[in-house]
Amino acid sequence: MSKLIDENEGAQYLYMGNEAIARGALEAGISLASGYPGTPSSEIIENLAKVAGERNLYVEWSTNEKVAMEVAAAASFAQLRSLCVMKQNGVNVASDFLLHLAGSGTRGGMVLVTCDDPGALSSVNEGESRHFFRMVEVPLLEPGDFQEAKDMTKWAFELSEELRSLVAVRSVTRMSHASGNVKIGKLPSTDKQAEFRYSGFILDPMEGIVGSAPVAFRHAEQQEKIKKVREIFEDCPFNTYEGPEKPDLLVITSSACTLYSREAINLLGLQDRVGLLKIGTTWPLPPRLLTKYLSLTDRILIVEEVLPFLEDNVKIIAAEQAKAIGVKTFYGKNNGTIPTAGEMNPDHVVAAFCKILNIEYVTMSSEYEQRAQLLGFTLVPNREQTFCPGCPHRASFWSIHNALQLDNRKGFVCGDIGCYTMAMLPTGFSTLKTVHSMGSGTGIASGFGKLGPFGMDQPVLSVCGDSTFYHAAMPALVNAVHHKSNIIMIVLDNSGTAMTGFQPHPGLAVSAMGDEVPAIDVAKICEAVGARVEVRDPFNLKETPDTLLELMEDQEGAKVLILRQKCALSPERKAKKYFEMQVDEERCIGEECGCNRLCTRILRCPGLFWDKEKKTARIDEVLCAGCGVCSYICPEEAIIRKEVA
Amino acid sequence: MGNTALPKDPYSIIITGVGGQGNVMASRVLANMLVRRGYQITIGETFGASQRGGSVMSHIRISQNATWSPQIPKGKADVVVTLEPIEAIRVLMTYGNPDVQVLTNTRPIYPVGVISGELAYPSIEEIQESVKDLSAHAWFVDATEEAIKMGNPILGNIIMIGAVAGIGALPVDRADFEEVIKENLPAGTLEVNLQAFDVGVAKVTA
Amino acid sequence: MQGGYEDLIIVGINQVGFKGRRSKEMDNQVQSRGQKELQEQVINAHLCVGCGACAYLCPYQVIYKDQTIVLHDCDLAEGRCYAFCPRTSTDYDAIRKALFDEEDLTLELGPIKGFYIVRAAGEVNRANAQHGGTVSALMALALEEGLIDAAIVAEGEDNFLHHGIAVTEPIDIKKRGKSKFIVSPTVAEFNKIAAGDAKKIGVVATPCQAQAFAKMRMKPIAGKESHIDKLQLVIGLFCGWALSWRKFTDLLRRSTSLESITGMDKPPGTQTVEIFTTNGTIILPVDDINTCIREACHYCIDSTAEFSDISVGSARLPESWEETKTWNQVIVRSERGQTLLELARSKNVLEFRDVPEGNFDELKKAAVEKKKGAIERLREKSGQPNDLIYLDENDPVIKKIMG
Repeated sequence: MSKLIDENEGAQYLYMGNEAIARGALEAGISLASGYPGTPSSEIIENLAKVAGERNLYVEWSTNEKVAMEVAAAASFAQLRSLCVMKQNGVNVASDFLLHLAGSGTRGGMVLVTCDDPGALSSVNEGESRHFFRMVEVPLLEPGDFQEAKDMTKWAFELSEELRSLVAVRSVTRMSHASGNVKIGKLPSTDKQAEFRYSGFILDPMEGIVGSAPVAFRHAEQQEKIKKVREIFEDCPFNTYEGPEKPDLLVITSSACTLYSREAINLLGLQDRVGLLKIGTTWPLPPRLLTKYLSLTDRILIVEEVLPFLEDNVKIIAAEQAKAIGVKTFYGKNNGTIPTAGEMNPDHVVAAFCKILNIEYVTMSSEYEQRAQLLGFTLVPNREQTFCPGCPHRASFWSIHNALQLDNRKGFVCGDIGCYTMAMLPTGFSTLKTVHSMGSGTGIASGFGKLGPFGMDQPVLSVCGDSTFYHAAMPALVNAVHHKSNIIMIVLDNSGTAMTGFQPHPGLAVSAMGDEVPAIDVAKICEAVGARVEVRDPFNLKETPDTLLELMEDQEGAKVLILRQKCALSPERKAKKYFEMQVDEERCIGEECGCNRLCTRILRCPGLFWDKEKKTARIDEVLCAGCGVCSYICPEEAIIRKEVA
Repeated sequence: MGNTALPKDPYSIIITGVGGQGNVMASRVLANMLVRRGYQITIGETFGASQRGGSVMSHIRISQNATWSPQIPKGKADVVVTLEPIEAIRVLMTYGNPDVQVLTNTRPIYPVGVISGELAYPSIEEIQESVKDLSAHAWFVDATEEAIKMGNPILGNIIMIGAVAGIGALPVDRADFEEVIKENLPAGTLEVNLQAFDVGVAKVTA
Repeated sequence: MQGGYEDLIIVGINQVGFKGRRSKEMDNQVQSRGQKELQEQVINAHLCVGCGACAYLCPYQVIYKDQTIVLHDCDLAEGRCYAFCPRTSTDYDAIRKALFDEEDLTLELGPIKGFYIVRAAGEVNRANAQHGGTVSALMALALEEGLIDAAIVAEGEDNFLHHGIAVTEPIDIKKRGKSKFIVSPTVAEFNKIAAGDAKKIGVVATPCQAQAFAKMRMKPIAGKESHIDKLQLVIGLFCGWALSWRKFTDLLRRSTSLESITGMDKPPGTQTVEIFTTNGTIILPVDDINTCIREACHYCIDSTAEFSDISVGSARLPESWEETKTWNQVIVRSERGQTLLELARSKNVLEFRDVPEGNFDELKKAAVEKKKGAIERLREKSGQPNDLIYLDENDPVIKKIMG
């Protein structure tokens, strides 16, 4: 049995932060969970999907984050508890509905978990979701360790029902993707009854109409909820203080930064000089609690990631209470004590302490550091990200690159979000020239495709993955077809949401819970929209560029090329190689004029390497995924593929 | 369950390698072995985009009773386990110190920059010398080669876990491993995993 | 400057004669660099003639439509692409002296062993030809007589494009005699075909392509001869210029659909070009066509394919255009060219007629005009009176023209 649904109350498990959040939701008795995959959030829904049967849940990977939040809201309106999960920029996608949901209020407990990615470890933005919750006036909680991730999620549902409001829980990469010991609680009964009531007094929050109008009335109601929650937060056990009664410096922090701050205090032995106020209820801040701790000392350091959200809110309270608490010196992002970009770590906090308290601290002896740096810089080659061995994207971008070169009109590709975003890098032959949010590649292309009258004759291409197609690229395609925008949209269909770990999407005949569901065909949608559609196998290195070249000569409106081949990490491809690969070392001419290592120097598949001694390319039998692509590009036919029976 | 005193609290381990090598699996197995012994564990992991051929790291913090940062402070690793040899030096540049113990798998995975010829990959001798120079103790294990002999290169990770147990740097043993494998990996894989574990122990104790 | 279509068209044959002389000094004169320099100095500088000398030697350069495409960067310091290109810095005088008899060399028209007016014997043999059918007749004869076992000729595709194919049967040559207005990547095809089974190859080459073959014969990169010894015959075509495919097809599309076009010609003494279509003939002003000329052609000093074994062009005769256009003028340049022409005479493959007085001088005059124009434009391009970019200002031919 999964440790996620262990009934042994009080048992301790090593949970990933995302597992702790999922467990918290299960302990709260949720009936529905929805989300859209995005690192670092995906494991929450994945784990809930695995126990959906045992816990009587409905779990889905929705088409996009806005739909996910709408689906979760429906369960709340029908008096069930529901969880909605996304990464930071997913909140941007969902934000229109978020605003209206904040206005309408909820019924059954509803919690939105957003997993932010400070430092953009797996994002193309360092987005900050916390501001949304202040903007739309929804309470925001931030767990400071793994136990809290579970406990706080559970409590968030209770709070949501007490307020009849959505409650947000914000995690970060170092919380979601870190693991720690968690003591589990009780799992409630799974017997739930759903009913959507609408026959009571029209403004009744539980029996009337669910909506954000009449606006002034609902907005006033919402303000009352915020007042109420501020009071609740004054005594919330997730706000804790550790340290002396009269510290030299007060640290105010939240989330993973709590752990960094505690580590820094410990490293420098500052337990008697520095107080640590850990805030779990980040918005709205409880003013009396803050006033109490701000009174302890005159120097305040605010430790947080991305934007100075906590810092701004603390300063508002300090200004309001200035008469009572006196003038404070604040350290944080605004005065440059804490870095304003990139993720935090214990060393940044150590540096801040050293600066404020005038302490000397050596992290590494300079002799050791010099030696290590010297060896590192002279010996250790950088490890650039790359498509996996056997990845269909490498083949796709090989053909796209070559077709654009052959066409020779300075054509270009608008990129999108997925593994294939890496086609900005040499692994994708540096093919992508714009990259923004999901679906934006085709939207931007649609605009470029209308610039012909201004003398732009460059072919315009866009790429998007299969999951991205449903998420946000479909409206862009409709726009391009409708406005006769002269573009080629390339759908890189690898049959799954590969980047985040193969979550199913509407193109597949299986749901998050493993049920059979109707698959919605990309090609048919595009045809129905009115685009010319071609489907090719990217491993066919002749047909793919030929088709693209022909499509580039077709100046009539939007065309779609679907390049269909399964991800090299998919269970099917991992189970069986297409080919056993081998290099005929006699034939390989290597560095000579006539080849100059096309396979290892340009194709750069990790499944191949260059044997310097023998002056020949070789297959790394551990890494090679047996796609056969390198054998097609070898000018000497020295890379031999043998079909696997 | 009672636990034995740690050499330091927190005691910090880094498991490093290249995306796709099974870094996360190795760190989970090791951490679960320690949880069984009653320690408070924190693991910090890198995954997502960096998994695609980039360097990946898991930071494991072991404590009697506290939750520490999922990122080890600079210069504070106690044990470094690397599934790919040059990653050892890369990690020591930031987290090394003269007292660190290092266990290295000797099978290289070439970065694309090396495959393309823009960058050079050092000889295994140069790597060994550097790792020895930057550590108190260093072990080099041909884990992937042994794993290939056993029929599956991914067992290299288990061989490395066996080696960690073998050097005695951590309060864990074969029984912990066996329990964790039973709980976490598919039935039927126990025997081969135990064999791999034993190969790892033998590599560092022979 | 430009000659016009009648010059562009056509041809002569002969066999090749590399005499095998080659000095250390010559080796030093052939500069060898790589793809990077090729791109900077030729392709990006609009000097690329699309001959295909750099293509298919490796996976990096290919010809698409009529353009040389660099698919990926190659970082070799020395490459055949650069060494073979007729528009990288070249000592053509050294090549001339190495490949031809010095006593045959003329400043205006290159090596000359003889000048003739000929045409393919029998009307039927001229039926598929643009003009006199001499090129096809000579190439077919070379195949029949075993001088070569494969001929590379241009094969038409849609929309004026064509590619070279290897032909082994004389009959297949005669189907492919029409003039081409877009450059055919003949050297690229040679690079592909020579890597195969053929042992003795004959080609029909424009002046720039013949220059490329000449550079290849100098074997500038040791150990990488690229099968050049298989080249046994170069029939050169007189050439005024070639057109840019994209510019030309864009121009034609304004008047008709590309699919309806069956052929074209330029009657002498007019300032018009005739486009034959399935719906009748369209007349376009020459000035319109001139805007479509490849920029690189403006920098060419060779109108008669001086580096071939035998060169063929359309004749200029006092008779009517209808009669004139059934004849070719031919310059024999090498011993092999001479042998082939004599064989054609003895086998009655070609008809000969008298060369009208002044005809040879006219040709010389036209050739000098082209050289002058090209040199002037190269000076303009470089901004320096003595910098002729790819040409050597100390080449006696250039010196003479520059005065």
